[in-house]
Amino acid sequence: MNHTRSLLALSLGCVSALLLAGVLSCAPAGQTEPAEATATNAAPSPSGPTQEPRAEASPAKPTEALQEKSIVMIIPEDPPSFNAILEDTGYDALVMQMTMLGLTDVDPQGTIFPELAIELPTVENGGVKLDEEAGTMQVTWKLRRDVEWQDGKPVTAGDVLFTWNAITDPERGSWIQGIDYVDSVEKVDDYTFTISYTTIYPGYLTQLGGEQVVIWPAHYCDAEQGFAAWDCGRTPLSDGPFHLEEWQVGDHLSFVRNPNYYQAGKPAIDRVIVRIVPDASVRKTMMLNGDGDVDMWTTEPVARDLEGKPNVRVSQAPSPRWVLRLFFNLAAKGSLDAAANPHPILADVRVRQAMRMAIDVDTISKQIFYGYSEPIWTEFFRPPYVCEVPRPKYDPAAAAALLETAGWIDRDGDGIRECHGCLNAEEGYPMQMELITYAEYGEPLELSQQLIAEMLGAIGVKFDLTVVEGTVLWADTESGGIEQRGEFDVDLWDDGYSGTDPTDFIWELYSTEAAQPDGGWNISRWINEEFDGLIDEAYTLDETRRKEIFCQMAGILDEQVPSILLFSTINADAYSARLEGVQSTTFGVVTWNIADWKLK
Amino acid sequence: MTAYIARRLLQTAGLLFLLSVVLFALVNLAPGGPLAGQGRSKHLAPEKAAILKRQFGLDRPGPVQYAIWLVGNDWMRVDPDGDGIADAYGTRKGILRGDFGFSFRTREPVLKEIGQRLPNTITLMAITMLVSLAIAIPIGAASALRQYSAFDIAVTTFSFAGQAIPQFFLGLLLILVFYAWLKNPVTGEALLPAGGMYTLGIGFSLWDRIKHLILPVAAGALGWIAWYSRFLRSSMLDVIHQDYLRTARAKGLPERWVLYRHALRNAVIPLVTLLALDLPYVISGAVFVEMLFAWPGMGRLFYQAAEQRDYPVLMGILIIGAGAIILSNLLADILYAYLDPRVRYE
Repeated sequence: MNHTRSLLALSLGCVSALLLAGVLSCAPAGQTEPAEATATNAAPSPSGPTQEPRAEASPAKPTEALQEKSIVMIIPEDPPSFNAILEDTGYDALVMQMTMLGLTDVDPQGTIFPELAIELPTVENGGVKLDEEAGTMQVTWKLRRDVEWQDGKPVTAGDVLFTWNAITDPERGSWIQGIDYVDSVEKVDDYTFTISYTTIYPGYLTQLGGEQVVIWPAHYCDAEQGFAAWDCGRTPLSDGPFHLEEWQVGDHLSFVRNPNYYQAGKPAIDRVIVRIVPDASVRKTMMLNGDGDVDMWTTEPVARDLEGKPNVRVSQAPSPRWVLRLFFNLAAKGSLDAAANPHPILADVRVRQAMRMAIDVDTISKQIFYGYSEPIWTEFFRPPYVCEVPRPKYDPAAAAALLETAGWIDRDGDGIRECHGCLNAEEGYPMQMELITYAEYGEPLELSQQLIAEMLGAIGVKFDLTVVEGTVLWADTESGGIEQRGEFDVDLWDDGYSGTDPTDFIWELYSTEAAQPDGGWNISRWINEEFDGLIDEAYTLDETRRKEIFCQMAGILDEQVPSILLFSTINADAYSARLEGVQSTTFGVVTWNIADWKLK
Repeated sequence: MTAYIARRLLQTAGLLFLLSVVLFALVNLAPGGPLAGQGRSKHLAPEKAAILKRQFGLDRPGPVQYAIWLVGNDWMRVDPDGDGIADAYGTRKGILRGDFGFSFRTREPVLKEIGQRLPNTITLMAITMLVSLAIAIPIGAASALRQYSAFDIAVTTFSFAGQAIPQFFLGLLLILVFYAWLKNPVTGEALLPAGGMYTLGIGFSLWDRIKHLILPVAAGALGWIAWYSRFLRSSMLDVIHQDYLRTARAKGLPERWVLYRHALRNAVIPLVTLLALDLPYVISGAVFVEMLFAWPGMGRLFYQAAEQRDYPVLMGILIIGAGAIILSNLLADILYAYLDPRVRYE
């Protein structure tokens, strides 16, 4: 037994040695390794185990260290590249805005301002020449002469042409809005070029700018590799406020200040670390612990937890982008033709109007979205195109009455209405449908789905609830996309347009052409010739006229209810209280003005 | 033995081929597609979708896609610019010639994507496994030798608990305690880092690396410790009642000798094969631990690829994982024969 004991002692010894190791790790480094403490550990210790900024703040040479100002941004996944056009994950835009410049950009109020361009070309200043008869236009852009690439070479019209050719390469290129309207891009001199359009294209100001498009260096990027895959999309040669220093995939990206940035004296921050931290609750804890300075796209529950804490602020975009909405399928499930096979319940506009009246939007947005949302009832709610549309009133009694008028009456008393003289269904057809939403958004969306089903159930419209992956809901026809195949009754998700011009978005959601399978996102299969005509008319540079057209559209949508807009979802970023100048925006990502950020 | 191994390797090749067909079909037939996983705007412009389909090779029928994945398309004419005329040779070499394709998400070669993460995962998982063994073997053996003692009951209880606690919950708990609550008494900073592999900007420091490993290894090892110690306990219990131990004692061998040379060595043999079967985990990684502790490993890559339907990356990881499982099975068989002379393969 002696030896049993010695084996036991051995095993206990092993365990305690490991435990000791664990404990020692907790002990301050200085106690266990005094010699090393001054050499290596002293440097990181003020910042604690994790972080960089303050780790940087006191390395060996204290004078130098105190001067370096660095911040840490936390995002859940690596950007796919620095080229935001390709994947549009937002994380690519985040790092792209830090390193690259486009012709223009957009501020949180929706005002377009020049970046590489000297000024915005307009009809008034002669930058835009209209040919009213032919319905074409030509835009002349003048570039700044004081912007340099990282290697000191100037940014020129040659780079713009190079970028344009790379984007439009049929084999290795990509696609940007309005690409089909461009007839040609021509260089006038090193700092001047013109773009000729085959139509009047109102989105021309942000076509080579905004949150997605930047100009790439012709002497550095390899055209042979192609726009979509070239190496300079991952190791960019920058002309923006920061240079990429290192990218440790899955862990972090680090950036250093561009000393030759064209705006003198900016940026005020020397180093930016972008850390990849997948878990939202860990990101929140890091913000609270002071190890993060910016948490991109803070969600509703996290924003609520962070707000009011002394060291964290939450910036909300002045106007939201994403609007939670109910998409109706006006065609019978599985059919793509609303005229030939109308949906037995939803094809009747009175039913859609009644459902709109029966949803208490305020309650959902306040209770589930913690007040980080506002009721929205028209596509044209954000600058520069705001239309006065009277808000639909919440009135379940009137909704029920309207359903009665439409021939949907509950005669058997089971709480579900049936068709008794309705428009498109057989006598006795029950008012029961499926309500689908997507899983990735998380709890708030699923709770909304339940609440909406409850509210509609109260007026006798019964819903079965389904939650699917977004990749299934929005896939193309071939991949079994539920919406493209029309295999749904009502869908619930959030949508909105990027940039300042809603024309393309409206076309994609409501035009007749976009109702074709894989032809767009008019998944309601809502056909309205008057509306189609208005979309065509919207291609004009006359802003007053455009507003009129959009508000006419708003009126038609309000009356016809192809979908119900409910409320906006959050568009916010959390940042540490020591940081100044952070402003969330709907027209881009939080780094849109990183050159202006300051540390207190 | 050599003939046996050669035969098994041949079978492996055939098995991998069959597996690749099944996996390719499963991955592609799963509802949803890579284009819907694209970006924030949710609905992709139809023109852009057409370009992406062509660039990703999704515009072809499934069997053709598989053939290209397997043997490439540099021997056939393709239509890269979408004008309807097949006027150029393809650029893909196919997996048989080492071309795993490129990621839909980053357009980087799949092997590069995997190569960036594999070393991190191997580091984390190998250390986790070694730590688990270092703890599990002594406590497993000790609890067998003192069957039904207080120590044994404590170990048994612990191993049931250890296997029952979900990794992500344990991980969150560890972060809460060691990162959010406990502070270093000297510096006032969090006791342990919440995640990542090292502190940026201080160069290489072994101590810093260890600090970053403690929590993920603890979260990952608990289940394994429980599992291995439980296994060793029962295998040790088998052995200590064998006749040859009585013989050894009767010969007058010292008890220490009996236990180490005769009991423990024999008890560990089944554990070795179990370990060999667990080896694929060292490559595939642990999704929850990697997500929680921001560890840039294979588990996270796989999760992301699955979520976004990044077919080439998914296939790459699945095939490499399948290969690892088959090979580690073979390794287990060989080791077993080596450790136990009674086992013969003919």
